[in-house]
Amino acid sequence: MYADTVVEDKLVHKPKFIALLFVLSFVAFVFFNLTDTIFGHFLMPVIGDPATAGIFGRFAVAFVLAVIFTANIVAIGFLPTRYQVIIVWIELIALFLLFFYTFDLSMEFIQRKVWFMISQGVFTTLYVSAISIAIAFVLAMVGAVAKLSNNGFAFAIASFYTSFFRGLPLLMQVYLIYLGLPQLGWVIDAVPAGVTALSLCYGAYMTEIFRAGIESIPRGQWEASRSMGFKFGLTMRRIILPQAVPVIIPPTGNQFIAMLKDSSLVSVIGVWEIMFLARTLGTKEFKHLEMLITASMLYWMLTMVLEAVQSRIERRYRQKAER
Amino acid sequence: MKLTRRLMLLAATAALAVTPVVAQAGEALDRIMSDKVLKVATDANWAPQSFLNDNNEMDGFDIDVARELAKRLGVEVEFVTPDWTVITAGRWNGRWDASVGSMTPTAERATVLSFPAIYYFTPAGFAVHADSTAQSKADLNGKTIGACTACTFEFYLQKDLTIDAEGAPPFEYDVTAGEIRSYEDTSGALADLRLGDGVRLHAVIDSIPTLREAINNGYPLRLIGEPAFFEPLAVAIDKGDQELDDKIAEIVGAMHADGTLTALSVKWYGVDYSSTSSATN
Repeated sequence: MYADTVVEDKLVHKPKFIALLFVLSFVAFVFFNLTDTIFGHFLMPVIGDPATAGIFGRFAVAFVLAVIFTANIVAIGFLPTRYQVIIVWIELIALFLLFFYTFDLSMEFIQRKVWFMISQGVFTTLYVSAISIAIAFVLAMVGAVAKLSNNGFAFAIASFYTSFFRGLPLLMQVYLIYLGLPQLGWVIDAVPAGVTALSLCYGAYMTEIFRAGIESIPRGQWEASRSMGFKFGLTMRRIILPQAVPVIIPPTGNQFIAMLKDSSLVSVIGVWEIMFLARTLGTKEFKHLEMLITASMLYWMLTMVLEAVQSRIERRYRQKAER
Repeated sequence: MKLTRRLMLLAATAALAVTPVVAQAGEALDRIMSDKVLKVATDANWAPQSFLNDNNEMDGFDIDVARELAKRLGVEVEFVTPDWTVITAGRWNGRWDASVGSMTPTAERATVLSFPAIYYFTPAGFAVHADSTAQSKADLNGKTIGACTACTFEFYLQKDLTIDAEGAPPFEYDVTAGEIRSYEDTSGALADLRLGDGVRLHAVIDSIPTLREAINNGYPLRLIGEPAFFEPLAVAIDKGDQELDDKIAEIVGAMHADGTLTALSVKWYGVDYSSTSSATN
C-alpha cells in the first residue's frame, strides 16, 4: 500500500462508478453472446430454448450477468482488505479453471505424467536456474564495480559485455555457445552450455541493476565514509552495499523469476527440463495441450514460491532499516 | 616466481583445452569400444519412430534399431535428444556417435555426415482435415501446406529434394503449395491442421506412419492420394571414421538379412518397411 495518510471513499461504492461498471459489463456480455452457454441454460425459464431466444435472450442473459457481476464487486467492496484479496483471488482462479475446463483435457493423462514432469523437469529447471543465477550474481557484482570505476579497460570490457549479451537474443546465445565453442575444439555438454548462456545473459542485465543500485546511494555517504579514513573496499562493504542491497533486491528477484522461465530455451539443445518434457511427453498420444498446461501450472507454482521468498527477504531488509 | 609458474600452468591448461579435436580413422569406433557406450542422438518427439513411452523411457522403432545396433557392437546404448537441426548440421565433435533417427541421406546432408547403412524406407504422403473436399493430390495445388523445418517433406514442397541413396525409387513433384508453413516438429503442424480445414492449414506432408498414428489417436484427418515419394532412411555418423562406417554397414546388413528389421518394422508399423517392394501397399 502507499504510505499515504489521506483515506478516500471507496471507489467501488461511488454511484457513478457502479453505473459505469454495469454499463460496460452489460455491453461486454452482449458482445460475447453467451446465450448458448451454461448461463443461457440457467435462464431457460425466462428466455425459453437458448437456441431460439434471439435478441431478447441475448439481452436478458447479458443483463442478468451484468447485475451479478456488478453486485459481486460492490459486495466485495464492503469487506476488509484482507478478505477482499482472498475472495478476488479465488474468483479469478475459478474463472481460470472454467477456461481450462472448456478445453476438455484428459485429467487421467496429466495424472499419469505429472510426477515425471516434477521429478525430472522441475528438478532440472530449478538446478539450472539456481546455478545460473548464482554465477550471474557474481558476474553482475564484478560488472557493476567495473562499470563504475574510472579504469578505462575495466569500463570498456564491462560495457562491451553488457552491450553484447543484452543485445543478442538468449536463444542465439544458447546456440552460439553450444554449437560455436566446439568449433574451437572445446566440446561442451548441453547443461553446462545452457548454464553458461543463462548466467552470461542475466549477469549482463543484473550488472545494470547493481550499478543503478550502487549509484542510488547519495554522494554524501561516500564523502562521510572516506573522511573517516575508510578505504574503497571497506566503504563498499560496510557503507554503500548495505544501503544498496534493499534497492537491488526487488529487481533481482524479478530477474530470477524471469530466468526460471527463460531456462525453457535450453530445451532446444536437449536438456530435459519442464519445457522439453511438455513438448515431448504428449507426443505418443497426441495430447500436447494437456502437457503444455501442466507445464504452465508448474512454472506458475514455482514463481509463486519465489515471489513469497522475495517478499520475505524484502520485509527483512525493511525491518532492519526501521530498527 | 611462484606466481609466474602458476600463470604458465594456467596458460598450458587453457591451450590444452582449446586444442581442436580432429576425427581420425577409427577414433570414434575406438572411443565407443573403450567407453563401452554407443551414444545415439535421436528425436524424442516423433512417434512411433522415437518417443517417451508410459514409463517415461525412450521407445519406438528407431530406438529398437539403435538398441539392436549397440547390442551387436557389444556395448551399452545411451540416448541424447538434441534438436533435429543440431543433429543434421553435423560436426558432432564426439558429442554423440551415431544418429538412428530415420534420416534421409540427401546429397546436401552427405557433405557433412556419412551414411553407412539404410535400414528402412517410409512412404511420405499428404493428410488433410476430415472436412476437406480435396480428393487427390492435384486438389492441393495452391493450398497452404505444413511441414517440419529442414526435413525432406519441406524440401519436397520446395521442389529441392535430392535423394541420392541407392534403391530409392524415383518420384515427381506433383503438388505445388500455395504457401509452405514450417514447423519445429510434426506435432505443431498436425495441431494446426486439426483445428479445421483451412483454419491454419489445408494439408500436412509427413511420413505416412506418423500421419496414421495421429489418426489412430483421434485426430480428424484423412490420408489423400498415393505416397508422394519413398524415403530411404539411414543411420548417420560423423564424417571421418571409415572403420565405424564399415562396422555399422556390416551390422545393418546382417539385420536386413536375418529378418530383424522386418520383425521390428511389423512390430511398430504393422507393415514391413525394410524394403521398398513391400512398402508400396
